[in-house]
Amino acid sequence: MEFEVQENQANNSIQGVINLQPQVNPVQAQHQEIPIKQTDLQVSSTLEESVAVTLLRDLRQIGVKLRCVLVPTMSTNNARELRNWDLWGPLVFCLMLALTLSMSGNNDDGPGIFATIFVLIWVGSFVVTLNAQLLGGKVSFFQSVCVLGYCVFPINLGALFTLFFSFFYLKMFLVIGCFLWSTYSAVGFMKLLIPEQKRILALYPVILFYLFLSWFALIV
Amino acid sequence: MEIGVQKQTDEEKQVQKGQFNKLNDSGDKRQTGYCGFLTVEYYTPYFNVTENDVIQRVKATFLPFRPDFLNITKDNPDLWGPIWINATLIFMITAIANLRQVDSEKENQSFDVGYVPQATALLYIIAFGTPAILAVVMKVLGVDLSFFQTICLYGYSMSTLLPITILCYFQNELFLWLIITYGVGNSILFLIFNLKEELDKLQIQKKYIIIAIVVTMQLSLYLFYKLVFFSYVSEGNVETTTTSASSEPKEPAN
Repeated sequence: MEFEVQENQANNSIQGVINLQPQVNPVQAQHQEIPIKQTDLQVSSTLEESVAVTLLRDLRQIGVKLRCVLVPTMSTNNARELRNWDLWGPLVFCLMLALTLSMSGNNDDGPGIFATIFVLIWVGSFVVTLNAQLLGGKVSFFQSVCVLGYCVFPINLGALFTLFFSFFYLKMFLVIGCFLWSTYSAVGFMKLLIPEQKRILALYPVILFYLFLSWFALIV
Repeated sequence: MEIGVQKQTDEEKQVQKGQFNKLNDSGDKRQTGYCGFLTVEYYTPYFNVTENDVIQRVKATFLPFRPDFLNITKDNPDLWGPIWINATLIFMITAIANLRQVDSEKENQSFDVGYVPQATALLYIIAFGTPAILAVVMKVLGVDLSFFQTICLYGYSMSTLLPITILCYFQNELFLWLIITYGVGNSILFLIFNLKEELDKLQIQKKYIIIAIVVTMQLSLYLFYKLVFFSYVSEGNVETTTTSASSEPKEPAN
């Protein structure tokens, strides 16, 4: 949000005056000023709204992207939505997973588990994406990190389930289901971007990544 | 969100520029400049393998008496194998070491997450540090093997540890030492047979220096492996030699 404001302030020649009226200022009636005026209107309106509205908008966008990523239909709408990557979603799910696992009763090293999961998710996404790029895939770096982070959500659900149930085989069944869901979504996204012969080489790290996280969710 | 889209087109432009550079100097695999090794394009030629290649190379590891490996990989050393075989090993170590502890104590199951950073450090330092040292020594002594080929050789030799880790699940001490010995033997033979062709061009003392380095590193790796991750687990007494703060020696149940 602040990023947008700074960008517009660099282009805007009006200093310190918030122009609320959508009409063109006669002094700067040049053709290229008009788009600036429209975003200026957006900037001023987002500056004036309450914090709750801003947060809700961000949460709604996270929700929309989550639905695109996890409901595995490959429509062009999904693809366009995913091109607007953001790292808020992955951060939220990473923190949720790390907190859930470090607070469950079964262990005496909560901070260690939190740190391990946090580092594992971010370094893991980084390395998996780098691997896909090195194999020749046309993957944009942060878009891939974003999708991998969003696909951690089913494992989050799995970790929450294991908190409430205590029968081991039921837990195992649920966590395996969540692992398959995550992997299927992530693989569905990544397999389009890798050349044919190296597909398994690029997808195996994704499977390993989610397997590792699901294992943590099951055992802790 | 517009900024997000803009950033991506910048990245894509950079990737296209990198590929255009590669097309220009097509005879030269590496980027010029001192910081060339920090770019993605520097390492792309080393990922030029397919699935069948990788499977073939891993299979060659288990048959050390047929030194096909170096012939296969001389022109095309790859980095995918070393990196992801070690990552798989880290996962398996964590899984199996914890499964062993879960079985021995029913009431108070504590999960030791310290294995993950320890395993990562041990495996990646050995998988990339040993070949670095070996490559330097070999360059000094006059062997014509490049750095990446040594890394490739060492990384694939780690795949002997894959079935060993799975078998380490069993609690029988004698069995564990047996398979560790098999692992040491297999990987040392694999490394030496594959280096044999290069080493035969040297004098005797230099050859033995290199062989000694190889043997020492493999022995220490396997010893560490056994003692740190899979040490003796008895009925009521979980005894580990890990240095993580969470594990404490418990009283033997009487």
